[in-house]
Amino acid sequence: MKKKKVAIFTFTCDEGCSIYLIEIFNKKLMGWLEKMELAYFLSMADKRDDESIFDIVLVEGAITTFRDLKEIKEVRKRSKILIGMGNCAITGMPTCQRNNFNEKQLDEIEKDLKRFDFLPKCQSIKEVVKLDDEIPGCPIDEQKFIEVFEKYL
Amino acid sequence: MHTCDLDVSINRLSKIEGHADLDIKIKNGQVEKVDLRVMENQRFYTQSVKGKPALSVPQLVSRICGTCSVAHLTGCIEAVEKTLEIKSSEQTMIMRKLMMYSLMIRDHALHLYFFVAPDIFGVDSALEITDLSEEQIYAKSGVKGISGKEIVHEALHVKEAGNNLSNLIAGRSVHAPYEIVGGFSKEVDVAKIPAMIDELKSIKESIVHLAEIFYNCHWKLKRKTNFVALATPDFSFLEGVICSSNGACIKEENYWDHLHTVVLPYSQAKGFEFEGKEYMVGSLARLNLNRENLHKSTKTSMKKYLDIFPSENIYHNNLAQAIEIMHSIDHTIEILESFKFKKEEIKKPLKQDGEGVGVIEAPRGTLYYWIGIEKGMVRYANLVIPTAQNLVNMREDVRQAVSGICDSGIEPHKEWELKIKREVEKIIRAYDPCMSCASHFLKVNWI
Repeated sequence: MKKKKVAIFTFTCDEGCSIYLIEIFNKKLMGWLEKMELAYFLSMADKRDDESIFDIVLVEGAITTFRDLKEIKEVRKRSKILIGMGNCAITGMPTCQRNNFNEKQLDEIEKDLKRFDFLPKCQSIKEVVKLDDEIPGCPIDEQKFIEVFEKYL
Repeated sequence: MHTCDLDVSINRLSKIEGHADLDIKIKNGQVEKVDLRVMENQRFYTQSVKGKPALSVPQLVSRICGTCSVAHLTGCIEAVEKTLEIKSSEQTMIMRKLMMYSLMIRDHALHLYFFVAPDIFGVDSALEITDLSEEQIYAKSGVKGISGKEIVHEALHVKEAGNNLSNLIAGRSVHAPYEIVGGFSKEVDVAKIPAMIDELKSIKESIVHLAEIFYNCHWKLKRKTNFVALATPDFSFLEGVICSSNGACIKEENYWDHLHTVVLPYSQAKGFEFEGKEYMVGSLARLNLNRENLHKSTKTSMKKYLDIFPSENIYHNNLAQAIEIMHSIDHTIEILESFKFKKEEIKKPLKQDGEGVGVIEAPRGTLYYWIGIEKGMVRYANLVIPTAQNLVNMREDVRQAVSGICDSGIEPHKEWELKIKREVEKIIRAYDPCMSCASHFLKVNWI
């Protein structure tokens, strides 16, 4: 059987979900590698596949800049199954806290928002592209991750 | 005289925590510019904490960094407790030490096995190490009798032991739920302690292998710099005096007075200087300044490796991390074997206003929290992040290394570009930088 091509992409967040995923790997990785190939995961390898279609893609983080927005749309096109990992991807929080800032707080960050090409409003990945499945939590729940991921493996 | 011009750009450095880019400009064979840019999008935690209840803020700032969340949680709790005059119990302090140890075991192991070891073994990822035979491992690292597959298994076991220790003490390794202001919200399940001790004992041999790999590694980059670390009397990363290799000795609350910020062009993070000069924080600084306080068992089992400190070789940061894993294991075993854990109440604040500083040693170095509280709500928070403190030093190390390569006579070929890229990626990884953290810094000067 052909191994599934799995990719992990990080958008704006603390990377807690992918770090926790690496902890889940402690027990599960060796078994999963019989069925999958890690095709894109910059936390673990420099290998960059910029063309393939991936079978399973895990995404974490929120969409806060125009660059994030462009990239998630490209990732969606290349994903057969796109799974949102963690609360930022599904609800936007806590990364999108700036959406709730008062005027004084907004004043403090205004220059940076302009300079680094931030979107007017920070959004969850789910608000921007279609997610085929979701694993909630901050970080992701271990059992739920295993259950959802193995469904597609 | 070399008259080569070459531009080297690295977009999204891999195998580091977070997102950073690097541009190097070489003109007439001289390094004209090194731009290290933190490209991690800001998430504005220093603004978002304002007006939030002080007791809830540590769990929020834990989300600054998935990698070292325990450090943010613990550092912020210390600042809140100092402000609100909450005196932690002996058991709470011990449990926080255990949390810091669990973090060091997991986090240093992640860095050494997953981010750095691939460079040593000449592969792209830790997964590819599994394909290497005993002979190949010996040829590349001088470590005998162990295959690549066994090294990767050891990596997973070491990380899992750290992960299990976090679970035992505070419920989870990332964004630990039970560690809160005033204590821990759940008592330790003592029935699980014997198995935890056995697991920690079982990974000690792996850490010797790990130290041997980095001891044998011949990479070298020496540059005179200043090292800064919180010197803790039991090397527990929690409480002490901030020391520097140029002889400064500073109380935690005065640290900010010795720092000033450095703007890095086009970067979403700023750098820092200590007493007007670049400096380094992290494992190498701690080993250089405080190694006599390591656990006695670590001093014995790691003697051969400890003898090379103090060191100015930045790559010895990796060996220092391996030694710190061993210390974390040794001290944890001692605590788990002797301490009697009991049920305790959470301590309550004695006041609702004031300001306070919390300084701890995070895996990547000194982490500083300064919090102002009014009527129980956070009025402001100021953070100094380890990676931000290392940025200027990192840039100067990259400059020196590239200058060295230029002096050897480079040509404007793809080959040289690749050689430079590989070399500077190695240097930056040696620091174990965390860009998610580095993008958090103070915006407004409100003093």
